[in-house]
Amino acid sequence: MDSIIDKIDIVRSLWPFLLKGLWMTFQISILAILFGSIIGFCLGVAKTLGHYIPTKLINGYLHLLRGSPYLVQLYIIFFVLPSMGIPWLQFDGYTAAVVSLSLYTSSYVTEIVASAIFAVPSGQSEAARSVGMTRFQTYKNVVVPQAVKLTIPPMASVYVIVIKSTAVLSVIGIAELTRQGEVAIMRMPGDIMFIYCLIALFYFFYCYPVLRFSKWAEGKFGSVGDVEH
Amino acid sequence: MDWLQFYFNFRIVGNYADVFIAGIGQTLWISVLCLILSLIFGTMVALARMSKNPLIWRPIAGYIQFIRSTPLLIQIYLVYYGLPTVLPIGNLLDETQTGILALTIHTSPYFGEIIRAGITSVNRGQIEGALSVGMTQRQTLFNVTLPQALANVMPPLLGQTAVLIKDTSLLSIIAVFELMGAGLQMFSETVIATESYVTTAVCYLLIYAMMLVISGMLQDKLGGKAWQSN
Repeated sequence: MDSIIDKIDIVRSLWPFLLKGLWMTFQISILAILFGSIIGFCLGVAKTLGHYIPTKLINGYLHLLRGSPYLVQLYIIFFVLPSMGIPWLQFDGYTAAVVSLSLYTSSYVTEIVASAIFAVPSGQSEAARSVGMTRFQTYKNVVVPQAVKLTIPPMASVYVIVIKSTAVLSVIGIAELTRQGEVAIMRMPGDIMFIYCLIALFYFFYCYPVLRFSKWAEGKFGSVGDVEH
Repeated sequence: MDWLQFYFNFRIVGNYADVFIAGIGQTLWISVLCLILSLIFGTMVALARMSKNPLIWRPIAGYIQFIRSTPLLIQIYLVYYGLPTVLPIGNLLDETQTGILALTIHTSPYFGEIIRAGITSVNRGQIEGALSVGMTQRQTLFNVTLPQALANVMPPLLGQTAVLIKDTSLLSIIAVFELMGAGLQMFSETVIATESYVTTAVCYLLIYAMMLVISGMLQDKLGGKAWQSN
């Protein structure tokens, strides 16, 4: 019985710090998904236009981001870019976190947007062109609105990936949920397992609804293939 | 080439070539071991998840959901820092073994879900046919269902394997020596970020390129008629 009261005391004393960490995780993940979606949307649309050189460049960009671990990308953006001596690349931790996570997110979003646009039946754009719409109008009024619906379920999975990737940011000292947990363990070294389980629960209650939403949306809107991991 | 020397000093990278090669080797064998273990446990997870008995599939479904909605880093910390404090025997495993254990725990559910999709994609007639010619349940599973299931889901399995290789980089945080660890070691000894981390990234990209070639070869091989389910 004592141990339960003990644990409740731990939770009560850690609560404000963990909430602060959760807020930081939330903030960074929202910013990353926002900027990542914007970059990814532009690149995804550009990829479907079918010009040779831009498509190759975008594919190279995707391979670069998909072929290296996020940890390495984070280190490169946090340590390597500032040492290049270019003033506007002198990131602080927070900016480096948002920039690297946005780029990482954009690699997923690009593929989702491109495959969603490809999944729209070609009869739609052919019909739009034949009634006299320009190419831009076809994209804006016919193809993209239909494609956006298809991107909703995989985008929710990407959001979960982004949330989970924010845990890695603790290595560059961003005070997000995992980092707050590490600090808490320095204060209370006796309860390692309990504190990490607590943090895992925080992540669980943040990610699980999004995963459920993704599943629900897949049934409602259909899907353009699963996102790996 | 002098301007390049200003940004990237090849001589220092050359000094650390053996460290990086050792790191690549370490990353590869950890990945391969985790891959084999995850395939075995993933198949078990898939079969348990498809069981009709709620006492079996409900806990497994919970395990899958838990792994899918918590970060790998937290799972590694739970196994590395948390497990020894709970187990009476304490530090039974070293860092590498802990890392492999954590990665296997993390990857098995992902593989399991993919394999489950593969098993459900196998034509029902195949299983009925195998049973009707007198094969036992076990023979049907190993000789008919699983080979077709694995062949059907080869692309997502390969994608997940690429993710697994990238995930091994997180083991550097618990001081396992692998490719990322090699980069960190070079950085801590020379304090030059560009060469250390860019070389690490290039090595990972090399492994990724190798994966792409292997997956292309496998797809050619498995795309043949003999492996198709209908």
